[in-house]
Formats: sequence, C-alpha cells, structure tokens
Amino acid sequence: MKIGGGTDNIESFNNFFQCWLVEQDQFLNELLDVSKHYETNNNNNTPTTGSTSIGDHQVSKDQVLRSLIDKAIDHYEKYYRAKSRSAKEDVLAMFSPCWMSKLEEAFLWIGGWRPSMAFHLLYSKSGSQFEARLSELLRGISTGDLGDLSPNQVVRVDELQMKTIREERQVTEKMAKLQETVGDSSMVELSHKVTELIRSGDRMSEEEDEDEDEQVESNLASKEEGFGEMLDEADDLRLRTLIEVISILKPMQAVHFLIAAWELHLRVHDWGKKRDARNQNHGGGDGVNLPQS
Amino acid sequence: MAEICCGVVSESETGLTPCKPSSRAARRRRMEIRRFKFVTGAGSPPEAENEKQKRQKLDVSGTSSSSSSSSSLTREWDNAVENEACSNEEKGEEKKKLKVENGRSQPRHQCLSAPSPSLNPKRLPKYGISSVCGNRRDMEDAVAVHPSFYYKKSTDLHYFGVYDGHGCSHVATRCRERMHEVVREELEKVDVNEVTEWRGALERSFTRMDKEVSAWNKEVVNTSCRCELQAPECEAAGSTAVTAIVTPDKIVIANCGDSRAVLCRNGKALALSSDHKPDRPDELNRIEEAGGRVIYWDGPRVLGMLAMSRAIGDNYLKPYVICSPEVMVVDRTEEDECLILASDGLWDVVTNEMACGVARMCLHGNKGQVFPPPEKVVVGGGGGGRVAGSDKACVDVSMLLTKLALARHSLDNVSVVVVDLTRDT
Repeated sequence: MKIGGGTDNIESFNNFFQCWLVEQDQFLNELLDVSKHYETNNNNNTPTTGSTSIGDHQVSKDQVLRSLIDKAIDHYEKYYRAKSRSAKEDVLAMFSPCWMSKLEEAFLWIGGWRPSMAFHLLYSKSGSQFEARLSELLRGISTGDLGDLSPNQVVRVDELQMKTIREERQVTEKMAKLQETVGDSSMVELSHKVTELIRSGDRMSEEEDEDEDEQVESNLASKEEGFGEMLDEADDLRLRTLIEVISILKPMQAVHFLIAAWELHLRVHDWGKKRDARNQNHGGGDGVNLPQS
Repeated sequence: MAEICCGVVSESETGLTPCKPSSRAARRRRMEIRRFKFVTGAGSPPEAENEKQKRQKLDVSGTSSSSSSSSSLTREWDNAVENEACSNEEKGEEKKKLKVENGRSQPRHQCLSAPSPSLNPKRLPKYGISSVCGNRRDMEDAVAVHPSFYYKKSTDLHYFGVYDGHGCSHVATRCRERMHEVVREELEKVDVNEVTEWRGALERSFTRMDKEVSAWNKEVVNTSCRCELQAPECEAAGSTAVTAIVTPDKIVIANCGDSRAVLCRNGKALALSSDHKPDRPDELNRIEEAGGRVIYWDGPRVLGMLAMSRAIGDNYLKPYVICSPEVMVVDRTEEDECLILASDGLWDVVTNEMACGVARMCLHGNKGQVFPPPEKVVVGGGGGGRVAGSDKACVDVSMLLTKLALARHSLDNVSVVVVDLTRDT
C-alpha cells in the first residue's frame, strides 16, 4: 500500500466525479421522460383490459425500462470501480472527500451513503405515491408505481431491510474496532518515543530518523489498509443493497426509485455546494477573517 | 383522504350503552372521541412528537444504546413462520349485545346492546396480517394468529394477538410464542360464559404470562435478543399485548398497553380497548396511589421512563406498571365488518375512523379470494416483517393500513391484524 497517494489521483477522481454527476443528471432526465411517457400512455389505454396488444406493449415497455435500469446499475458500478481504484492510491481521501459538500460529508457513513438509508428513501417515495393515489388503490386499481408495492414485495423489502441493517451494524462494529486502534499500544508507545526525541532536542542521526519514519509509516500503513478494507466492505454493501432493492421492484417501480435516489443525490449536492459557497463568501468558512482594507 | 373518514362514533350511535356507567369512564371515553376528532381534523397527526416519545421510551429502558450488538436479533426471524402461510379455519358467528368489562383495579362494567342476528356456527375465519420493521432499526413487534386455538362445546375459538415490545424484542417474542397457550390453559380450567369469567381467565393469563417472562428473563436462556447475557437489562424490557378471542357469538378483547383493537361496525369505528397511557386520569391515579409518579419527559412517562402505564414485563417499574389487562366482551352483530388489532405504529398516524374506512372500502371491493390454509401463523418478534393470512381481502387491508402508516411517516414498527367478521363467505 502506498501512503498518502498523490494529489493527481485525487484530482483525477474529482474530475471523474464531476463527469459522473453530469451523466447522472442527464440520466435522470432520461428516466423522468420515460416515466412520464409511460404514465401518459397508461392513462390513455387502461391496462386492466388485458388485450394482446396491451400485453405486447407491456413487454416492450418492460424491455425499455429494464435496459434503462441496467444502464443505471452500470452507472453506479462505474462509480464504485473508480472509487476503489482511487482508494488504492489514497484511501484516506475517500473518508474526507473534497468533491463533496460539507452537508454531504455530514451524512457519510464510512465514505459513502448509509445503506439502510435506501429503505427510508423507498418508503418515503412509496408513501407519497401511495397517498397520491390512495382512492385508486383502495378500489383495487393497480397504479404500477411505488405506492403499489405488493404484499410479497413489502415482505421482501422488509427482509432485505433487516438484513441490511444487520450487515451495516457488523461493518460499523468493525469500523469501531479499527478506529479504536488509534489508541493501541504501538501507537501510544510510538507517539511517546517520538515526542521524547523531539523534546530532548538531540539531533537524531539520519539513521535514527529513518528508523522512526519507518516505524510510523508501517504503523499507519496497517491502519490505512484497515480503512481500505472497511471502505471496500461498505461500498460493497451499498452497491448490493441498491441492486437488491431494484431486483425486488418491477421495472416501472425501479425507475421511480432511481429517480427519487438521483433527485435526492443531485439536489443535496447542490444545496451543500450553495451552502459552502455562501459560508465562504461570508467568511464563515475555514479561512481566517482578514480585515478588508 | 377525507372521504374515507367515517363519522366519529358516539356511544348511542353504536349501541354501546354503559350498564353501570361510571362518570369518569364516560368522560374519558368522550375525551378519547374528541381526541380522534382532533386528529382527523388536523389532517396531519402529531406523529413526530409521538415518535420522539417512543424513541425516548426505548432509550430509557436501556437497550437501544447497545444497538450494535443486535446482529443476533434478526437471526431468529429467519425461522419465523413465513409469508404466504395461510389458513382456513372455522369461524364463529355473531349475536347480539355488547358487554364490556374493564379489568382495571376499580372495575368498570359496561353492557352494550345491539341487535342480534342468528348465527351459523362453523365458518372460516378470514384474516390478514402485516408486520414490518418500517422506519426503525429494530423490529420489536410480534403478531400471533391461532385459528381454532381452542375448541369447546362444539365451537371453535380463534386467537389473535399483537405484541409491541420495548427495550428489547424478547418479551414480545415470548408473548407471541406462549400467550395463546397460557390463555387456552386458563380457559380449560373454567367455564367462561359471563363477562366476569372471561375477565378472570384473561387476567390470570396475563399475570401468568408476566411471571413467565420474568422467570424466563432470569434464566437468560434467550440468545436472540440485544440484551443477551445482560440480565439486569432484561428487567427493562416489556411488551404491550392486545389479544382478541373470536367466538361464534363474541369478541373478547384483553388489552395491556398502548396497542389497540378497533371494531368496524356498520361503517363506524368502535375502539374495543383504551390505551394505557400514564396520563389517562384513572391510570395516573392508580400509579400515584401505588406510590409512583408520572413525569413529563418527552411526554408522560411512568417514573419518567416508560410511556405506557401497563405492560407485560418491565419488572423494574413494578408495581406502578401493571400487567393486568382491561377486558371487553362484545357480542357480535350482523353489522360487524372487521376487527383491527394493531401496534401504535399504525395508531400514531392513522385514526380509528380512517382505518375502518380503509378496511371497509377494501373489503367491499374484493371479496372471496381465499388463500390456501395454514395451521397457524406467527410473525414478527425479532423476526422481521411478515405478511400472511387466509383471505386476500384481509391481507390487502392489513397491507394497505401498513402502507398508509408508512406513508404518514410512522417511525415505529407497524403490525396490523385484520379479521373479517362478516358472515357471507
């Protein structure tokens, strides 16, 4: 493992992320167009009268939607591949990502979104779609959106939620153990030794110097390695959760879910950026307030 | 939304007339009705506050802080009897008259009368269950359904129970596994015809269940809950219990805690239980007479800790928190549509009237689709969400109510049992 990988790497991931966001934004518009298109179509020819032409229509609709969903999953996979590559260069940068706003950073769980959040997102979107078309749903009319989750889907979502929370807790627990090692004996002894050397004022010989550096490096390297593993596990859980939620949903529902996820992601990013910009302008940022002359 | 809210029930409208009216009880009832009205009128129920209280309650009972150790919590759920399990059973019929008895320390008796249809015994109980973790990180609700759990004098009795655990899921889980058996044993010992006999049998059952939970806590045999191997913590766990025994001519509700049973009768919502909240005037008196205090800390709490005044378990709050249920015996009528038992995850955000409105619309909408039969159904309780039932319409109602609760941002586990009480099949 390389310690403190170059800024080039971070710069390139930052660039990747900006492009990825633009792609997500375009993709979001595509999903919105498609969902609107099928919604209008649905309303025009009531799908409950199951003639063959509508059956065919349904098949092609599902195919269109599925290819979009596959594209969306590719989009996510691309992100996590790039992230993993960059993390190999500088894992710590992934834990305080400069490409995110402070607002987004505050919501981070091990360098990314908290997996169990997916279920709150799903329930929120499902809830608003459910209430919006409650009278239809009460009459047994299928709406095909997230408000229309079947009992079987609700059970599967619930089971997945329990499983995800369980795994999330396991990863959190591991992370706790890793974070506690900042105070382990090797760190404490090493920090004491180095402090003593600094205090003694003796100039260290070059050899001693190198020796200390080596010890520090190897100690921190093992920690960084741990953080790398944590990030891998957390990202794996994030991606798996996403794919599994989507697998429970029908194509149209999955599209609604992705729309909600991306709207949320993009808007929180915007809001955070705006907030950061405002705070910087008002001198409320990290910088020292210099008297204006 | 408003169109499915039925009118607010009044006692005279529903044929509920107290035979030994207690003015305090009547006042409380009126207050309750007013509260529902308020909630309905307000449009958005004050769920945020309720939830805060709920969380507080859990925190106080000492387990939610140890949330990271709950990996074992859900393991047991995988063994729980699953989804799409179904049942086909005998169901009783209906009759006349409502009799109500409250098994509280100063018993209030209410006899309620209503028209009496003649009944045709053997019927399939049609029911649906939905129990999900929802927006919480722990599942502490449990549901038990035992059709034909007891057969006496050539009639089948059916058992339905909702248990909402706090502190940890193990008390609710234990209730799910044992309560109906304890009730059956008690019913075997005596003939229950009179309201007082029902009341006695159920009070004994709840007391036994409570003792069993305490004794079992001490053994610390449980390996599937958060408070595993922390005996003192186990004392700080408890559960609500609302149980319904449906006979051919009666519905017998026993309630302890803040889960609730609601009867839909001719489009009206009739609460068959009254939540045990620490600020309910009679409960407040009882607690204070026992030497306890109700402290407002994020809502009224017994000793500033538990946000309900009765529960199974919660040894650390005895004798202020008691396990004695209030029992209500209601004669079934032809106007009965369905019975809804649910945890406060539903009732915090959905009024009785709205729940009945939803149930009514849905039951009228799709009748007659029957699922294949299961022997018994148990769900939840450290087990994860389950949806099950013997009747599609009932499952749909339980599911719709669950989704409605989630849509209205219920932050608690949501468990709903719906029993169809109509006679046509």
